[in-house]
Amino acid sequence: MAAIDAPAAARAPREVNRQARTAWCLASPALALMFLILLVPVVVAGVLSFTNYSLGNSGFDWVGFENYDRLFSRSTYEKMFVATFTYVAVVVPISVALGLGAALLVNSLGRIGDVYKTIYFLPVMATLLAMAIVWEFMLHPTIGVINQTLELSCGTFLEVVPFLANGCADGFPLWLGDRDYAIWVLCFIGIWQGFGFNMVLYLAGLTAVHRELYHAAEVDGAKSAWERFRLVTWPALGPTTVFVVTISCIRAFQVFDTVEAFWPQGGGPNKSTYVMMFAIFEKGVQQNLIGIGSAITMLFLVFVMFLTLIQRWLVERKVHY
Amino acid sequence: MKTTLTAMAVALSATAVFAEEKVTIEFAYPYSHLFDVTYEAMMPAFNEAHPNIEVKFRATYESYEDGTNTVLREAVSGNLPDVTMQGLNRQAPLVDKGIAQSLEPFISAEADFEKDGYHQAMLSLSTFDDQVYGLPFSISLPVGYYNLDILKEGGITELPKTWDDVIAACKTMKANGIDNPIFWGWNITGNWFMQALLWSQDSAIVKDGRVTMDSPEALVALEQMQEIFTECEMKNLEWKAALASFSAGEIGMMFWSTSALGAVERSQGDFELVTGPFPGLNGAPMGLPAGGNAAMLTSTSDDPKVREAAWTWLKYITSGEGAAEVAKTTGYMPPNKAANEIILADFYEQNPNKQTAVDQLPLLRDWLAYPGDNGLAITQVIYDGIERIVTGDATDMKELQEELVEEIADLLPNG
Repeated sequence: MAAIDAPAAARAPREVNRQARTAWCLASPALALMFLILLVPVVVAGVLSFTNYSLGNSGFDWVGFENYDRLFSRSTYEKMFVATFTYVAVVVPISVALGLGAALLVNSLGRIGDVYKTIYFLPVMATLLAMAIVWEFMLHPTIGVINQTLELSCGTFLEVVPFLANGCADGFPLWLGDRDYAIWVLCFIGIWQGFGFNMVLYLAGLTAVHRELYHAAEVDGAKSAWERFRLVTWPALGPTTVFVVTISCIRAFQVFDTVEAFWPQGGGPNKSTYVMMFAIFEKGVQQNLIGIGSAITMLFLVFVMFLTLIQRWLVERKVHY
Repeated sequence: MKTTLTAMAVALSATAVFAEEKVTIEFAYPYSHLFDVTYEAMMPAFNEAHPNIEVKFRATYESYEDGTNTVLREAVSGNLPDVTMQGLNRQAPLVDKGIAQSLEPFISAEADFEKDGYHQAMLSLSTFDDQVYGLPFSISLPVGYYNLDILKEGGITELPKTWDDVIAACKTMKANGIDNPIFWGWNITGNWFMQALLWSQDSAIVKDGRVTMDSPEALVALEQMQEIFTECEMKNLEWKAALASFSAGEIGMMFWSTSALGAVERSQGDFELVTGPFPGLNGAPMGLPAGGNAAMLTSTSDDPKVREAAWTWLKYITSGEGAAEVAKTTGYMPPNKAANEIILADFYEQNPNKQTAVDQLPLLRDWLAYPGDNGLAITQVIYDGIERIVTGDATDMKELQEELVEEIADLLPNG
């Protein structure tokens, strides 16, 4: 702002200094809040994960790495990892693929695309907890809509399908009470609920793909729709895909509402749906065992941090055009 | 617009004045599907008798475990309710941590407390170190619920007396085309059915601060469960779904707490329902755990008016007319002689299904709490273990018992 001349240039370091001080002053409330609200709790959880603190007690003992040791040696936590990773490995690819597919189809439609957009986005807007209760009614083994619909096929030609034939003979699956089905039901609901969100992100990404690129590709001989997708759309959506996959991963790691609604005690038949968030809730909140709850939380943070770092690395590496 | 605002302001100040004369106490209870109707039925008479006390209901606890835990959290954050209803097996930790307060000062101020119908046997469930900390509100025992229509269709004419009878009945019913003969309530709160099978053999699950999962009786209990689950091919229903199915008339026999009787009868489909005594291992059970909850005083208020109001409420719901509503609206028994013998004199004659649990009262034993901070976690370990039997994941009961013993040892204060 000040005109720079010879004496002013001599004063410049002090000027810069003062500006820096003002900047720090202005930023300090935000920094203090970030520190207090975000970082301190993480540090506190980190410290507590080395103790056996139980809510309501006046003190605690240091137990070193005992909590972490348990996480990696007890069969309960082994089930926790299996459930969490199964969920992530199933839900992320399918919900990303469906999101992309839906976005491409919706994008190719005119006016009517808005209707589809709304329909696909509805489950995202609905509260998952409320939806879980509706699913619970539908999945009830005897009076639920799903099994009653399946029963309609009994005695018809549809019985050639082995699944239906078995169901008609010995009763249809219990879904939520069956250790072979529970995790897949959970995944299905996760996909149903999440892919609309991915679709919206992809739709936003598609608007950024230049029309000219398609024309250029056509001139260069890319005639089929598949080639246009492979050569133009997919690479151009690179940054969106990285973002969508990361967000989906984090959301999949965070799955909790459905588990809590379906299996408030125990995390599913045989702990087959005992996902990390539920384990944190069960240990830290339901059983007041803050020590072990904090240890699982730290592990959870490590996973999420790891995903974020991969995303950063990919973004910086190669997905920008 | 202006007039509405003024009217609202007047209305607000009016309620404020009105509220000042009233003493407000806060109260929380578990299991809204059982007790909502009970408190609804009690409130008009209470409001009439004590117009100056306003009872504010907090959000209900989902289960006894949730209740304990909510109170523990509230104790840390400093917003405890004045009166809370706690599972009989969860009173000890609250007394240990100094959250629940002794009721002795109030009891000694009462002129004829004994005459109000509280009898010693029931009070002993809430007595710690010779001090009464809670007034039992509702008592339950496990019973058998039978759908007579399904039993007849399945060719069963007599109610089973032992678990062997039950298994035999299952097989007959299966052979006669009944898909879903039984639901056995293993997933009920606080490992209650595990304790029921142990008390049936007159064995306690906690002895001298030690969990006796390693006892031969515990193995018998696990094996008995396995036999019931596998021989009857019992479906692993979530308990709320099971209650719904039974009420809809789809399950032949259900073993559950008598407490749900009110709820089941309210939503019962078109079939004949009878209750029968809880079967035993060989002959009748030697004991059964008492379920239910007790009212505890957790008020942190210094105001004697509030404490007095809390005591008035606590006494009202556990005695006389208040307690009688418990029996009328649920399947619980009021733990109060006055309510049972005087007010409900001909009630049980008209409701023979609710009589079953009363007949079993001589078998009443303590519903035991696991020692230490990990009480809730131990409950979960045993729950998970039984679940593995139901889903068929655990087949060797001896092995399962060893695993459970090891996991519980991990969670006990002294290893």
